[in-house]
Amino acid sequence: MGNIGKLFVVAKREYMERIRSRWFIVMTLLVPAIFSGAMLFPVYVAARSSASGGALRNIAILDASGTGLGEQIATTLKTDTTLGRPDGIEPRVIVATTAELPAKERELQTQVEQPNSLVGYLVLTDSTLTNNVASYSGRNASTINDIDKLRTIVRQDVMIARLQREGVRADVVKDLATATFRLKSERITERGRSGSGTGGFLAGIIVGVLLFMSIVFHGQNVLRGVLEEKSTRVAEVVISSVKPEVLLAGKVLGVGGVGLTQQAAWLGITAYLMSFVTPILTKGLSGQAAAAAADQFGGGFATISLATIGLVLVYFIIGFVFYASLYAAAGSMVNSEQEAQQAAAPVLILLMSTWLLVNTVLVNPNSKLAVALSWLPWSSPIIVPLRVGLTTVSPITIAGSIVVAILGCIGAVWLSARIYRVGMLMYGKKPSFAEVARWIRYA
Amino acid sequence: MSDLAIDIRKIVKRFDEHVAVRELSLQVPRGSVYGLLGPNGAGKTTTIRMILDVLLPDAGTIEIFGRPNTDYGVLDRVGYLPEERGLYKKMQVRRVLLFLAELKGMRAADVAPRIDEWLERFGLVTPQKNWGDAKVDELSRGMQQKVQFIATLLHDPDLVILDEPFSGLDPINAQALKDAVLELKRRGKTVIFSTHVMDNAEKMCDSVCIIARGEKVLDGSVAEVKRGAGTRNIALGLSGGAHNGVTEVLRDSQLVRKFDDTNNYFELELAPNADAQVLLRRLVDAGASIERFELMQPSLHQIFLQRVGASGVETGMSGHG
Repeated sequence: MGNIGKLFVVAKREYMERIRSRWFIVMTLLVPAIFSGAMLFPVYVAARSSASGGALRNIAILDASGTGLGEQIATTLKTDTTLGRPDGIEPRVIVATTAELPAKERELQTQVEQPNSLVGYLVLTDSTLTNNVASYSGRNASTINDIDKLRTIVRQDVMIARLQREGVRADVVKDLATATFRLKSERITERGRSGSGTGGFLAGIIVGVLLFMSIVFHGQNVLRGVLEEKSTRVAEVVISSVKPEVLLAGKVLGVGGVGLTQQAAWLGITAYLMSFVTPILTKGLSGQAAAAAADQFGGGFATISLATIGLVLVYFIIGFVFYASLYAAAGSMVNSEQEAQQAAAPVLILLMSTWLLVNTVLVNPNSKLAVALSWLPWSSPIIVPLRVGLTTVSPITIAGSIVVAILGCIGAVWLSARIYRVGMLMYGKKPSFAEVARWIRYA
Repeated sequence: MSDLAIDIRKIVKRFDEHVAVRELSLQVPRGSVYGLLGPNGAGKTTTIRMILDVLLPDAGTIEIFGRPNTDYGVLDRVGYLPEERGLYKKMQVRRVLLFLAELKGMRAADVAPRIDEWLERFGLVTPQKNWGDAKVDELSRGMQQKVQFIATLLHDPDLVILDEPFSGLDPINAQALKDAVLELKRRGKTVIFSTHVMDNAEKMCDSVCIIARGEKVLDGSVAEVKRGAGTRNIALGLSGGAHNGVTEVLRDSQLVRKFDDTNNYFELELAPNADAQVLLRRLVDAGASIERFELMQPSLHQIFLQRVGASGVETGMSGHG
């Protein structure tokens, strides 16, 4: 049987044994659950957090403005649906003169101090309308959401009152004041429109994280597999039947296949979970809010084209082969899990150096740094897919970087195979760098 | 078709400044049981690893059945039991065996039925349990060794290489191994094993090669080797042990070059030009009560000690032959 046949025998074993393991099944099911949970939680919070604003209905409004502004604000608070459904508790308006204010305030303060009573009180003075100043005291004064909400409402009502005083028609004022303004952003590339800008950003981050995580995770798996073969001494029998290079390649291929299977499962399960969790979450929200919530995570994925998926796949394979073979070399040098962490440190540093620069690339995907990182074989598999999600990368750059990355890959595999060939049969103390260099020369 | 199973010509292997194997040549006839003998650190394992293309020789050539060992498929005809044994711990026994056979170019469909045959033969299938379905680490050490041995033979190799096969075997498994080796020979297979236990080698091998410090000391068929060493040896049995007078005779360097004293039984080597009859007469005169006095061929053990000496073991080696 030729080397290719044996390569597949090795790959098949790596693949099947890992797929069968309990650990794989648990991880495959658990991660999408956590992942979708982590994505849905902020949406859920955003959709429901306003319900806590109900406390704002249980306040008193001490109105010394002499313009009926207090009544206006009370009405707004009563009818604002984002504060939750009306529940019978309504803000109390106390109209007072400026002279009466201190006494009334003291009175309200004692009420607020009682448990389960008034939450707080808003004071409107005669300068509220002219100087845009009001004050609020209450138990929830540190609740940012409540205070933000109240500030918005008061500002809106002050604006309405002032516009009306200037003679603007009431319905126009109302319309202007309640309109929310949405700015849609859409990215235009050389190939035309390509969906929402923020969606691309989000998809870019997710792709980057996924690539990085799976390279680290499955790279470590390769290392552990190599270490197992070495420490159980099964390596010698295997190497007497198949060339070390073929064993190394089969291992990387098999574990890589597991990685791809797992990611496909993750994406599939996550998409499935989202598809029926989303309607439950957005139930009871207005159509617009629901659409916005759905758009927040769904929109990003809608923009990913088949070509992009293909590109991500190509870079995953290149990046994985590059790092996994280095991890395998690290695993072949040592005899224990602790030593392995040390031996793998240079590989991890290479990976981390890329990861730490991801943020910079996200902020400015066309910077000189981003372009340079697209050409380095150890960073391009993560950086290029990220940039493609964010900006326009010329096909020449993509093709060139793939060629360079493949060359880097060949170099890494060559180097690793030589270390691996010698390392697999070396027991005893961890080799020094000088020794490893000798292995590379002699193998 | 070559009638040699293995033909090694002047192979050299250096590790840094240390020479593990020095211009070693050896020929193993087809269908023979061949012993590779030598003290620990002599270069046995290094030689075997080069035969299996696990290590590359720095110089020299290795042919298996007339073809370079690096040729396609040549090593698929070889079964190898390394000194350091081990299997994938978390894998099912049956799957490990299948995997290792597939690596030797076997088709899964052909191997599967043979796995059961072998498991039964080695007592790994009992009415209570089929150990083939268990994971490797559920098996006892002895059972794991049997599985490893099955893995060596499952693909029906024409050449079987066993590196220190008796180390760590209990007497029952050791006997089973000897039987298996002889059966392989009957079926026309070639078996090479390395050992530093000369006794096993003498009983089982057709031919041997003794190596020390990476160099060949001697080789040939066991009969030739013994003949070459001459019959200057005498087995002496005394009832009641040796008293002073007898010991004095044995210490006479005109008669006896050296002797091995195990109280009632002695192996002697005559001094050059000494006459065995003179020795016998002197012993009788000294009052020895002789039960046995036999001119004999030296054992491999003696030849080994004679040719290699105690210094044959090189110090500072990794422990791998």
